[in-house]
Amino acid sequence: MVEVDNRVPLDWDALEVGEVFEKFEYTLTQEMIDEYRRGVMDPEAAFPTISHKVDVRQFNAKYSDNGSVNARCAFHCYNSPVPGKKLTVTAWVADKYLRRGKNYIVTEAVSVDEDGRLIDRVITHELKQPWEVGKKWDE
Amino acid sequence: MGRIEVGFTEGDSVGPLVKEITQDAINLFEGSAGQSEPSQFTDEEAARETLGTSGTVASGRMSISFALELLRRHFGSDVFNHSGIVDLRFLRPVRPGDTITFTGEVTDTSREANGLKVSVKIEAKNQRGDTTGVGSGSAIVPQAFLPSEE
Repeated sequence: MVEVDNRVPLDWDALEVGEVFEKFEYTLTQEMIDEYRRGVMDPEAAFPTISHKVDVRQFNAKYSDNGSVNARCAFHCYNSPVPGKKLTVTAWVADKYLRRGKNYIVTEAVSVDEDGRLIDRVITHELKQPWEVGKKWDE
Repeated sequence: MGRIEVGFTEGDSVGPLVKEITQDAINLFEGSAGQSEPSQFTDEEAARETLGTSGTVASGRMSISFALELLRRHFGSDVFNHSGIVDLRFLRPVRPGDTITFTGEVTDTSREANGLKVSVKIEAKNQRGDTTGVGSGSAIVPQAFLPSEE
């Protein structure tokens, strides 16, 4: 069966700063945490939520584009997530800007667990012309 | 709750933290979030199509994870996991086979209502000495964690 792509083609000019996406919920399992810790080679890593890319997940679920590259990312730690607890993520378009002729979109997300504990905040600046990486850096 | 035995002074060095990047580590990082579709991080063809590179790259979020570890080791998890911030700009791709060294330096301290805010500049370099990321971080060290003033 062919999967239908219902996403909206991204129109950078029309994208509204402040657009809030549908809340996203997931449960962080011990297995996810263990796999993340092996990936980052840090047995005490406390914020596996970073690998879930929750700030862009709902954006990517709504809009289709040519991909992106992470140009800048900020991560705020409040309380490390507890395995087995459901996390609710609120994400929104925090900004967009044009620099040296290239388009960037800034997304922001806050995660809260089922007990109301604030977990983290992530803010990401994505370059929407990902092929610039190969043009600039590929030897 | 542990008391920190050292103070925080401008110019104090933080780290280093050295990470050897492998494709296996990248795959684990991506897989930990249930990502199973080929991507620029896990699949050479996807990387070629999306980025125009000859091979995969590591997500910038892996570098964020390493910067979090750098500062958590410096401040301690009791402090950093409740008030830590990192903010990195990614200047060059990090690829499988790279060895990335993260270092930091305390740049400022300031009194806040709930403790001492310590700011750190962060730099990441690969094995060739090229800077792959720069940025900053901070944590607020609660008064109870600081050495008592004589």
